[in-house]
Formats: sequence, C-alpha cells, structure tokens
Amino acid sequence: MSNSILVIGGGIAGINCAMNAAKYGTKVYLVDDTPSIGGMMARLDKTFPTNDCSICIEAPQMYEVDNHENIEILTNTEVRKVNKVNGTFKVKLLQRAKYVDEEKCTGCGACVEACPVSVPDPLDGKVGGKRKLVSMAFPQAVPNVVTVDPGCRFGEMRKDGACIGECAVDCSQCRECPIALCVKACEKEGKKAITLWQSNKKLDLEVKSIVVATGIKNAPPTGDLLGYDKFENVITNTEFERLMNAGGPTSGEIIRPSDKKHAKKIAWIQCAGRGLAKEKGTPYCSKICCMVSAKQTIITKEHDASVEATIFYNDLKAYGKGFWEFYGKAKENDVQYVRGRPYEVFEDPETKNLTLRYEDLDTGELQMHEVELLVLATGIMANDRNKRLAKALKLKLDELGYFKEKDPLLSPLETEVDGVYLCGGATGPIDIAESVSQATAASMKAVSN
Amino acid sequence: MGDEDIKIGVFVCDCGTNIAGVVDVPAVVKYARGLEHVVLADEGRWSCSVDYLSKMQDLIRENKINRVVVASCTPRTHEPLFKRTTKEAGVNPYLLEFVSIREQVSWVHMKEPAIATEKAKDLVKMGVAKAALLEEGQEIRLPVKTDCLIIGGGMAGMNAALSVADQGFNATIVEKEPQLGGLLNQICFISHDNHKRPAARVVQAKAEQVQSHPQITVFVDTQVETVEGYIGNYKVALKSNGNVSPQKLDISTIIVATGMQEIKPEGQFEYGNDPRVITQLQLDNKLRNKHLRNVKNVVMVSCVNSKNESRGCCNIGCHTAVKNAIAIKHLCQEASVHILYRDMSLIKEEGTAQQLAKRLGVKFLRFPDDRYPEVRKENGDLKIKVYDLLVGKEFELSSDLIVLTTAFKGNASVGQVKGLLKVSTNPDGFFQESHVKLGPLEFATDGVSLGGCAKAPMTFKESSEAGIGSAMKASIPMQKGYIETEGIVADIDLTDCSQCGLCSKRCPYSAIKVDEEENPEVIKALCKGCGLCAADCPNECIGIVHYSDDQVFAQVEAALEESAEKKIIAYVCHWCALGGVDMAGVSRLQYPSNARLIRVMCSARVSMKMMQRPFELGAAGVLVAGCEFPTCHYIEGNYAAEKRLKRAHKKLAKAGFDPEKLWNVWCSAADGPKFANTMRTMISELKLE
Repeated sequence: MSNSILVIGGGIAGINCAMNAAKYGTKVYLVDDTPSIGGMMARLDKTFPTNDCSICIEAPQMYEVDNHENIEILTNTEVRKVNKVNGTFKVKLLQRAKYVDEEKCTGCGACVEACPVSVPDPLDGKVGGKRKLVSMAFPQAVPNVVTVDPGCRFGEMRKDGACIGECAVDCSQCRECPIALCVKACEKEGKKAITLWQSNKKLDLEVKSIVVATGIKNAPPTGDLLGYDKFENVITNTEFERLMNAGGPTSGEIIRPSDKKHAKKIAWIQCAGRGLAKEKGTPYCSKICCMVSAKQTIITKEHDASVEATIFYNDLKAYGKGFWEFYGKAKENDVQYVRGRPYEVFEDPETKNLTLRYEDLDTGELQMHEVELLVLATGIMANDRNKRLAKALKLKLDELGYFKEKDPLLSPLETEVDGVYLCGGATGPIDIAESVSQATAASMKAVSN
Repeated sequence: MGDEDIKIGVFVCDCGTNIAGVVDVPAVVKYARGLEHVVLADEGRWSCSVDYLSKMQDLIRENKINRVVVASCTPRTHEPLFKRTTKEAGVNPYLLEFVSIREQVSWVHMKEPAIATEKAKDLVKMGVAKAALLEEGQEIRLPVKTDCLIIGGGMAGMNAALSVADQGFNATIVEKEPQLGGLLNQICFISHDNHKRPAARVVQAKAEQVQSHPQITVFVDTQVETVEGYIGNYKVALKSNGNVSPQKLDISTIIVATGMQEIKPEGQFEYGNDPRVITQLQLDNKLRNKHLRNVKNVVMVSCVNSKNESRGCCNIGCHTAVKNAIAIKHLCQEASVHILYRDMSLIKEEGTAQQLAKRLGVKFLRFPDDRYPEVRKENGDLKIKVYDLLVGKEFELSSDLIVLTTAFKGNASVGQVKGLLKVSTNPDGFFQESHVKLGPLEFATDGVSLGGCAKAPMTFKESSEAGIGSAMKASIPMQKGYIETEGIVADIDLTDCSQCGLCSKRCPYSAIKVDEEENPEVIKALCKGCGLCAADCPNECIGIVHYSDDQVFAQVEAALEESAEKKIIAYVCHWCALGGVDMAGVSRLQYPSNARLIRVMCSARVSMKMMQRPFELGAAGVLVAGCEFPTCHYIEGNYAAEKRLKRAHKKLAKAGFDPEKLWNVWCSAADGPKFANTMRTMISELKLE
C-alpha cells in the first residue's frame, strides 16, 4: 500500500499540511491548479492583526516546501478522477502545459522582456496592471518559472499582436520555433526552456490519503453592486489590497483607477452584497472582512496620515486574539467608523468622485458621503473548483458550496470518504491562522490513516 | 587546517546575459584568480544547470578544492542547491559562501557596466575573504523518544492524547480536576452549524476512548509540579492530592491544553447579590441538569467584560447566547427571551441559528457601545433598563432570569505552567503562540505545543482541531526520533565568560541553559542561529557558526580595502531585508552602487563592534537592514537590533565618529522600492554622489 498523501491546493493551508506531513516522514504530492503555490496569501500586502508583511512570512515556507525531499510540487495541475481500490486512492491528474521546461527555466525573465504583447492582468481586476503573454505569476513564485499564455500559442492573441501570429501551422507541429520572440530570447540566454509545442500531461498517482485544501474565493460584486460595474473608482477590498502592496500593480501607491491620482478620501463598505438574493451576494457573515478593512485603513493611514478613511458597517466582527485591539488601533489612527446601511452610489461625471447615500443606523437619518475611492468588502465564498472536485472525490458539498464534513463535532475535518480530509477555506470562511491550525490537524489525520 | 591548505574555488555565473550582459564576468574571474587562497576560478553560463553542476563537482575534486565561493543569483532561492552540490563533491556544505551578483549587481546597476564589474569584484573578494575563515559545520541532532505529556484533560487535551497514542506513542494526561472533560462538564449542548450534541455524552464517549487506550495514562486530581530539561529530555514531577511523586517521568514532548475559565462578573448587574443573575455557563449547567423551570422573562446581556480597554471579543459569546436562547424556547415556549447585544458576531451558518431564534420569538435588541443596560431591584423584582439603538428609545424589561455573557480568561494554572515551561503569556491570561499567523499551535521553544482554549477562546470544533494539530506538532520529532537543526548555531567559549547570564535570559528559544556552576551552555539543537546572544555578550565569548566576528570582519576589511570613503557597509538580514534587496533586483530598480552587502541571519546579529568597525576603516556609512516590524523570523530580533542601534549612535559619537552615518532600514521582502530608496537617500545625505 502507498505511504504517500496528496494535498490538493497549494495555498497557506496546503503548504502547511504538506510541510508537516513531509517532516513527519511521509511522501507528499502538493498539487495546485495555478502556475505557482502560494494561494490567496501570496497576493496580500499585510496580515491582521499584526500587519506582518504577507509574502515575507509566506515565501520562506514556500521555499521550504520546494526544497523538501519528501514533497513533490505539481503546479498547473488538476485532479480529474479518483478511484479507491483496496484502501488506496488511484488518482488521475491533468498537468496543463506551461509551454516551458520547468527543469530548464531559471526564471531569469529574458523572455518576458522580449515579449511584445501586454494584456490586462485579470487577477488584479480593476486596479490590474498589465502582464506579458509570457509571465511569472509573481516574483517569489514557486516553482520560479514562467508560463506562456495558452491563447498565444493557439493563435488567439494574433489580433493583439502576438509574435507568432503569422505562423501557418499549429505550435504542436514544431519542435523548434523560428518566430517566437520568447523562444529566441531564451535561446540567446543559452537555454531552450520555452517549448511552445509542449502538450498537457496526464499523471497517475497512488496515495493513501487526500487532503482537500482548495481555499476560498473573493465574492464577486454582482449586478452592478453599489456602482461597481459603472464607476471606475468603486473597487473591491481585494483590489484595494493589491493597490497597497509594494509588489502590486501600482508598487504600493494608493491611486484610484480613473486618474491615477492618490485618493485622499476613501470609504469602505462592509457586508457589501451580503444578504442579497441568491447568486447575487454572500448569504452570510464571512468573518474576516471587518479585520481586513481595519488593516487596510491602518496601512492607508501609514502611507499617508492625511487620508480620510471611513468604514460603513453594521455588526463589527473582532472574533480573534488581538482583533479588538486592532480595531482600536484603526480608531486611534483616526479611522471613522459609521454604523450605516448603504443605499446607492452616484458618480460625479467630472471629478469621478462618488457619493454614497446611506442610512445612519444610530440616528435613522439618510446621509450623503462623498469620497474619491470607494472600497467594497464583498466577503468570501466557496471556491468554484469545489463542484468538480467534489464529484471526482465523491464528496458532498453543503448548500453554500463548501465541502461537507462527516461530523464536524465528533470527527472534524473528516469526510464521508475514509481517507479524505479537509482544511482551510474548503470548509468555510476562515483566516490564515485558523487555516494553519486546521491544516496541521488534517496532516495528522492524513499521515496516520 | 593550516593556512597553506586552504584551496578556494570561485564559480562565477553568467546567468545567460542576466549577469554577463552587464558585468564583465571574464574580468571578475580573472580578478578572482589573483586573490589569496584561490586555486581556481571558472565562468559558468548557467551555474545552476545540471551540466554545469556536474562540471563544478569535477573541478572541485580535480583541484582538491576545500572552500567554494559561488557568485550568482540569490542565496534565498539557490543556496540549498549549491550546498547539495558542494556536499556531493565531498566538501562540507558549510564551507560554501554565496555571493549575490545578479540581484545585488547586474539587475540594479544595468546602465553602469564598469561600476557593476568593480562591485562584483568587491563582492567576490569579500566572499573569498570569508570563505578562507569558514569552518566545517554539521546538522545537529538531538534524539527524541516517544513519551508525550499533555497538560489538561479537556477536549483539546483528550483529542491530542488520542492522536498521539494512535501512532503507538505514549501519552500521559495530567488533569487537575477529578474528571476529564474540562469546561464541557458544565455545558448542556455543543453545536456547530446545524449539528447539535449533548455535551455529557460527548465527554463520556471521548473519556472512555481515552481511558481504555493502552498507550494513554491518565492522572486526575493532579498537577505538574516541576519540569526540568528540554525536548527529548524532560524530567517531570507530578503532584497529586498534595503529594509530589518521588518518581520523575521521562518526557520527550509536551502539549499545553490547559483551557480557559469564565470571568465571574462579581458586583456587576447585581451578579452575586441576586441568584437570578447568572452567567451563560451557569445557565448551561442549569439546562444540563434540567434545573430550569418556569422562567418567564429571560434577558441575556452580551459583551460583559469584553470589548473594552482590557479585553477583546470573547469569540464565542454571541453563538452561545443564541444557542441557549433557543434551548430555553424549546424548554418553555411561553417564556420571553431577550438578547441585548452590541454587535452580533455570528459567522456563516451561525446566522441561520439566529434566524431560527427569531422565528421562535427570541427578541434581539441592540444597545450602544457606551451605554450598557442597567439592572436594579424593585420590590424584589429584577428590572433591566436598556436603550434600544435601532428604535432610539429606552425600555425597561422585567426579568426573573438575567444571563450575563461574560468574557473568558486563561485557566488558573496558566501562571504556574508558564513558569515551568518558560513560555509566554498574554495579559489576559492566555498563552502566546509562536507566531500569530503561521505558528498557532506551538511555542517558540521546541518540543512544546499548544492546543485548544489555552491560546484563546474557541468553539468546541476549533478546540478539537487545535488539539489534533498540536499532537501533529509533538509527533513529528517523536516519529523521526530526533530533531535536527542547521549547523548555524551559537557556540560559547567559557574562557572569558563572566557568568552574567544575559545570553540565557535573552535567547528567544530558551536554547541556552545555565548549569549548576552558573556556566551557560547552548543546547545546539534548540538554537536557531539568530546571533542575538553573540552580539549582546559583553565579553564577546559567543561565536555563531558561519557568521563569526572574524568572518564578518574579514568581509568588512575586504570591502573597504580600496576607496573606503565611498563605500557603505550594509548588514542585511537573510529573511525580509534581503528579500527586499532581491525584490529591488527582480523589479530592476536602479540605485547607486556604493553599498557592499553582508548577509547576517538576523539584524540582531550585528554587534556594536560590527557597526563601528567599518568607520574605523574609513567607510562612508553603515546600514543595518532588518525585517519590517512586527515581522521577524526570530520573534523579535529586529526589536533588539533597534535598541542596540540607539546605543550605538551614542557610542559612535563618543568614539569620535559621526553617528549620523549609521543608518537603519526595516524593510519587508515585498518592498524593493524601500530598499532602493534607502540607498538613494543615503547617498545623497552622505554626499556621495
């Protein structure tokens, strides 16, 4: 019987689960369906309630996982089919081509510089910068290799000026490319790492346990929530996080999308979209958003103390250790907390400033508040990948789309399928510390199964 | 090994054109060949490629090289690879010195090839100077057997014990109460989402499992009296019914699961004066024992003693209040139940419980943060006055049962356990975990893990999970049979030791023990190599392997041999500050080339002498760069560094140097711009342009 385990999801939960199991002496396959491990945390600027720099504390763990002899990292890889035979899981995976030889790529970036086409980076949404068709997920990516946009390879980017636009044959026909600038740049560096003719790979694994650590997703603002679709300067709190981040698209400058000027009046709306009709918003309290906004206001004030920061909220959640004090810190920094229910948002077509109409819950009066940048704390929802994965693993999802535990009270983190365990955002809205705690518990169950 | 035996090999990488496109690599290689002890210098197009690594190994063997200098990208990502290669070539991996000429040179001085080449030469010279002094090191192992002590027999402790014991390890639970179960023994129902279980049955089932497990020993009515030693090597004495056991237990790892207790709100809201005013836990007890009959008007008050100046959110109060309100409604449908609250803190599906409560007729009434309800007695009746924020009016409710949702604090034994294990606690009586985000289940001290509500109030489910997780932390060394650390550790030379005890006191990892003769001893397997002790030792008798004073000074001297007046010595911590330097490189931020970087593991390693020495040699400035607060890979090394910097300014002035030339920057690994800007500002302020 196999003594290996499979961890699905390479965010902070998956990393910790893999690390603990590997240290214990168990062979671990750590699978992520994006080009790098790191997950949500790698995109954050700071973490509450200590304002630790997120990547500073996560990257050492990422490198440690990468260098551990018991861990094999498989990125760009999806779990497609799982069969349990005599207590062993036979897992079929699909590794999507990065069109890069991971063994050869050193992450030097010569190809990125050579690439002539920049496209909007959808990951950062409205504040997003641009990325090249060949790019690194983020500078600390593990594995530290580039990925070529498949659209480029399939010729979809021809109209955008991709360099292989004139090619007569499909990339899969060649073993060398006379045209592509990235291929040339790589060859000039003496490497032949870019392989546009690479195809997706099917992988088979046998493991004794599986840990699902697929994470959460940021709830999208649907149905023109508070003007998000119409007005440039209405952004989500995830997008704001990227604005704050020195490694983000604006190098940490808190500038608004419309005119790239520093925003001096900013408001945050808590529970944005909460309680709206199905498919339109988050139906519950996502737990972390109050602290996320407290953090964002504190950091904004650190950037520029003269910024007016206001938080519109209803119930304040300060559920964890040091969180209440953190909220106190925001207030000390002159962040205004207003209990209010937002109704609508108008834009001044000239200044692109926004006016929020809201009910002050303390007085019951209707009020107006004008800002230069409006941030929506839209909450957290179950990840889209859960559905397909649940099918492959023969697991059940709850009505909110999170994985169901067999008995959350008496056998926490266990599922209906013996040997399959859960941790982190796969179980519900959760913060980093709780994810790490659950991941450690899940690793205990997985190695001793 | 005598001086004449030192044979250094220098391997300079082109990184394709990444380095060679800016730096004249052949010139650097030629320069390296001329340096003392260097027997070979070679240029590699891609040093990290499989081909070159094997060539490197051949060259090392053929030339009998016993010290290796690699000049290439950054040690943060590539040092493990070159260490492995060096080791496979038969050279002790601690005899490798890594020089960063891509992130620190070619990527940040792209437009100045001549200057970049000079800087690369300097860095290689510094690397060679240090390499000549490097000493062999080795990973340090400390054997760990399989006996785990669990302090506390609540749900976290029992879960931890079962997880440990199921692997065949021995678990010993010490519980100070007469029975296992902890707080659950006072609770009626536990619930999560839509699941609900009677607490008594949960405890009974778990306790039976624990007691019948052949690998678990349970001591009730017992406390830990003394703990000596460290991971793998603890001697623990227990005390039962006032008697201290003469036999000490041999313990390998310890799990702290001491739980929490309710704060009794004596004197508040008539609590203690009237038996009809109780806490949630007392209500739970009444429900559990079916002592609640004929209540008509129940009023619950949330946030009692929480969310104020001294204490935060109690984490579980709202959920508990709603759960118990539903229980009362199920018991006596006619009873009126009010929950007076500030914020409803109900996560995810807990919200549906509130909806159920509302359907059952429970009334929720919000009061302002600064205007708590008031309780008074009138003709023996309890009256409670509350300002309803949503309606904007004050009401008076009559009540025959007032339930206070009070805050929690750490268990009464926290102080004692803290003293025994030398771990940290918070002002509110909970234990302080090693890292708020990434170390929730452990202490900074190896071998001691933390489970359940001893850290902070948790729900039943969270506490169970933390118990299982803490068992994993304890099990890793027991499964491996040892703990192992990198050989970068402190080493004390007792010759000049004045037995001041500072090192032992300051060590964040309790890795320095003082023996019976008051001599400090480093338990090397526990040492993380930050170098705080070495920098603070008043008699300079502590060395750090791979970062000794001599080695660092050799780098400083090599860097300042020529044109010292134009150069800045920058001590950079391996974790965040070097991350910032690398980020500046990756982002191709261009900044002045005056600084010569010297890597240390932590900014706390930089001693006063290290700050002063460059000035003695004529340096233009000194920079100490560490992690941005509050992040520190060694808990609070950067705080120690900051304090020392303040002292250093005074000391420099006394010694006749300009203290304004000693700079510092606390830089996150994401903040390339901050490092680059610091360089620019320093150059302009020090007038080096």
